[in-house]
Amino acid sequence: MSLSKILGTRALSVVLAIAFCFGLDAFVTGQLNEYVVRLVMLAGLYVTLSVSLNLINGITGQFSIGHAAFYMVGAYSAGIVSNAIYKTQPLAAPAYMIISMLIGAVFAAIAGLIVGMPSLRLKGDYLAIVTLGFGEIIRIIVLNQNQWGGSYGYAIAPKYQAGWLIWLLAIICIATCRNLLKSAHGLAFLAVREDEIAAQAMGVNVTKTKVVAFIVGAAFAGAAGALFGHMESFVNPDLFKMEVSFLVLTMVVLGGSGSITGSVLAGATLFILPELPRIVSFKMSLGLLLSVLLGIGVLVWMNRKFLEKYHEPDKVKRTLVVAGANIGLVVLAIVVGKLLNNVPVFGTTNYDANKIRYMILAVVLLVIMLLKPTGLLGHHEFSWDWVKRVLNRNKTGEASA
Amino acid sequence: MPLLCLKDATIKFGGLTAVNKVCFDIEKGDLFGLIGPNGAGKTTCFNLITGVYEPTSGDIDFLGTRICGMAPNKIAEIGICRTFQNIRLFGTLSALENVMVGAYLRHKTSLLGGFMLTPAVIKETAELRKKAMELLSVVNLTDVANSRACDLSYGKQRRLEIARAMATDPKLILLDEPAAGMNPYEKDELRSVVFKIRDDYEKTVLLIEHDMKFVMGLCEKIVVLDHGEEIAYGDPSEIRNNPKVIEAYLGEPV
Amino acid sequence: MDLVLHSVGGLSLDFSTLPQQLVNGLVVGAIYALIALGYTMVYGVLRLINFAHGEVFMLGAYTALLSSWVMGFTPDAISKAFKADQPLTSSPLNLVIMLLVAMAVCAIIGAIIEFFAYRPMRNQSRIAALITAIGVSLFLQYAGQLFLPANPPPSISQEVNPYQKVVSFVLSPAQMNAAGDVIKPQMDITVTVGKIVMLVTVVILMLALTYLVRYTKAGRAMRAASHDFDSASLMGINVNRVVTFTFMLGSALAGAGAMMLATFEGTAMHPFFGLQPGVKAFVAAVLGGIGNIPGAVLGGLLMGLAETLVTWIGFSQYKDAVAFVILILILLVRPGGLLGSNKVEKV
Ligand SMILES: Nc1ncnc2c1ncn2[C@@H]1O[C@H](COP(=O)(O)OP(=O)(O)OP(=O)(O)O)[C@@H](O)[C@H]1O
Ligand SMILES: [Mg+2]
Repeated sequence: MSLSKILGTRALSVVLAIAFCFGLDAFVTGQLNEYVVRLVMLAGLYVTLSVSLNLINGITGQFSIGHAAFYMVGAYSAGIVSNAIYKTQPLAAPAYMIISMLIGAVFAAIAGLIVGMPSLRLKGDYLAIVTLGFGEIIRIIVLNQNQWGGSYGYAIAPKYQAGWLIWLLAIICIATCRNLLKSAHGLAFLAVREDEIAAQAMGVNVTKTKVVAFIVGAAFAGAAGALFGHMESFVNPDLFKMEVSFLVLTMVVLGGSGSITGSVLAGATLFILPELPRIVSFKMSLGLLLSVLLGIGVLVWMNRKFLEKYHEPDKVKRTLVVAGANIGLVVLAIVVGKLLNNVPVFGTTNYDANKIRYMILAVVLLVIMLLKPTGLLGHHEFSWDWVKRVLNRNKTGEASA
Repeated sequence: MPLLCLKDATIKFGGLTAVNKVCFDIEKGDLFGLIGPNGAGKTTCFNLITGVYEPTSGDIDFLGTRICGMAPNKIAEIGICRTFQNIRLFGTLSALENVMVGAYLRHKTSLLGGFMLTPAVIKETAELRKKAMELLSVVNLTDVANSRACDLSYGKQRRLEIARAMATDPKLILLDEPAAGMNPYEKDELRSVVFKIRDDYEKTVLLIEHDMKFVMGLCEKIVVLDHGEEIAYGDPSEIRNNPKVIEAYLGEPV
Repeated sequence: MDLVLHSVGGLSLDFSTLPQQLVNGLVVGAIYALIALGYTMVYGVLRLINFAHGEVFMLGAYTALLSSWVMGFTPDAISKAFKADQPLTSSPLNLVIMLLVAMAVCAIIGAIIEFFAYRPMRNQSRIAALITAIGVSLFLQYAGQLFLPANPPPSISQEVNPYQKVVSFVLSPAQMNAAGDVIKPQMDITVTVGKIVMLVTVVILMLALTYLVRYTKAGRAMRAASHDFDSASLMGINVNRVVTFTFMLGSALAGAGAMMLATFEGTAMHPFFGLQPGVKAFVAAVLGGIGNIPGAVLGGLLMGLAETLVTWIGFSQYKDAVAFVILILILLVRPGGLLGSNKVEKV
């Protein structure tokens, strides 16, 4: 590729990114109601979180499951600094947010450095539990700081809801990781994931690679935390519990650990799960719930027993059959559930959707794990080449038909 | 000055002395063999040289500098690289990428540039890819460049290991049982690859091998280990007739 | 004027309560140890962190509660009997039944979880298995929130526990000066009989486990599988059965621990009841060297003691963090845990 072409592509992507953020700010966030805007912002934050965790977990292979801690460090540190200096500094809020983001990133990076240290000695499950432990320690420490509101929470000024900035951060995070994977430097990270001893024997500085992964991953999470803090303008330690770490981890794994595209898709969709009850305030009856759960069981069983063994050279036909069978089953489960509701024993109790949100998360998680343990995308990435290939294949398919 | 010099290199694992006071010198351009029965301590020797383990006592010098206690990646950087007996490729990466990881050792751009994918990084990545392709052709793997390493056959994986080690541009390359599991045809091919490495690429080669015919026909100097001790040193004909070696292999025709 | 309060580095330590705290720590630690055994055995065999183990524990507590209801100790019956001035009392038999039912139900739940969630993941990557475990754990917690009574948090009523009686062991009597002022308060250990029963039960269960693992055929198969899973299966050991057995054994111990914690300690029950003890017991297992049975017991006891000591020093609010601090410190010094082997990967 020639230099001018590279620079051209680069300039185009930067322009597109800016246009996207600007468009978001000018045309989207102004039109939608406050709650939808909030969702758009949360999606951006979770994209950043899952992609940055993917750098540590999926790309470098360091089993870190305490990502919420970096998010928290970012939110609190940026908040504390803002409360102290925002009023006395000359910048306007939008410009100041960038500083705030950097503050969050720096403090989280320091936390990342500290958490990354054990990764030099520990592996796998041991490392996982230590990262989880660090997360809990940080949370409990904050919980006991009365000057930061303890368990009650901490107010952060100024309140600033910048969808464009959140998505800009997400784009930068995606671009950073994607760039890394496109360069030879990325191979060093992947090599550490695949086999540390061999990587080191090939001259890869394993220590540096791991620590850099932790620092960069944590910094992005911290920057996201800073924006989250200003967006909510009030944070408390409960917002950064283990469940949040698990949610982000789920995104990474479901998207396909190592696949940035997967993390982006999973981050931008799964974040909705904890928010679901606020969007649809439905009541769920015992009958419906049971039949849906049962239906899911049958679904997993059907897929594993029959559909996996169903060979059909025509990919389109196969996809249709598999998807049809699955959708049909879900519909059937809902219909059966509705019928069951007429049976007095099942129809009596109604459940608040608020209570089933994490259960839905758990069920989604389990179903996908049981059906596709490598995640939806495996190690694959979205690329324009791939789109072209698919389009071409369809064309040649039509031509031959 | 010898290229590599082991002076009384010793390592103990608990009560077991896996390598005991081993001394040998390797000169530049040597095709050096390291043989011995199973469990003799050959692989452990490699691990000492490449910094995976630190010797309990004794010294290892490379080009006059002491390398004991150096991190393995530093040792790779100053010019020693190896293959693994129990193949350790980067399974889900392609064959080409595996070799590129080796070539990455000689990169010049900064990691920060990598995160930003600067033009310099793009250019360098393309160069590494080209170099890797070249090495793949040396070991006849061009056709599987884009297959995942874990999907390759055993013999191909062994050759890929060699290409990956070569990519680090070592002065000394250590091959741990490169012919294990290969059929006679593959072994012939391998022999010519090793000669090419030594003669065309001007590397010094130290190799472990159990196939006596292969070693005797390839190496110019041979050290024999048994139970961690060095029991013989010499050229193939000397080794073949050494009673200690014959005893160690217990009647196996040497 | 309190002579016993020593000031050490700005902390005031009341040594007269130390023995009491140590005993409390021992009791909590014994429960942690019991749960930790389940983690450690499963990890030993499958190299899987069974995140759902804490939820099995939680279900064990609820099972105990329900079985007490079935035996007639429902809140209604108790309050009715109380009003009629004929308070219900339970016999040891009731307690034994509760214990056994909790253990049996947990064993079955453990086996079910293994069969439906973990068995399909056996050939998948470790991270996929771990995520599945997290999924099962979340599922049980939130399903529990839907289906289990939690509002107000029920705990097994005091009437069921006949061992509320307190025994005191006086270590050193109070000292008074001539004027009759106490210059040194009495130092004693006060425990309920229930706690003693609990400790004894834990010891019995652990002895039984040791026997089972050491001397029975199933135990031998389990040890073989934990040494080398694949070879064990090649040697004709039915590894599926071993895994089920391991899950049942570990879950039964968790059930026993849950029943005792809820009954004798009177800990309030809720669907997230298993989370804290579960995490701590897991930390205990790692601390002792995961996969190592004596290590789990040691780790559990240490964890219990450390927690109460932290409370004693006056940092009770950091009680939950202390587990992790100890864990991190120990792992950095001994990456394999206290009794675990520090295996160096052969190259
Ligand atoms: N990390 C280690 N810990 C304990 N013992 C070890 C370790 N590495 C090697 N050993 C022991 O050292 C001895 C020598 O092993 P080594 O692998 O060097 O033998 P080898 O000569 O390469 O044999 P082979 O021909 O079978 O590959 C063996 O007994 C082995 O078990
Ligand atoms: Mg060897």
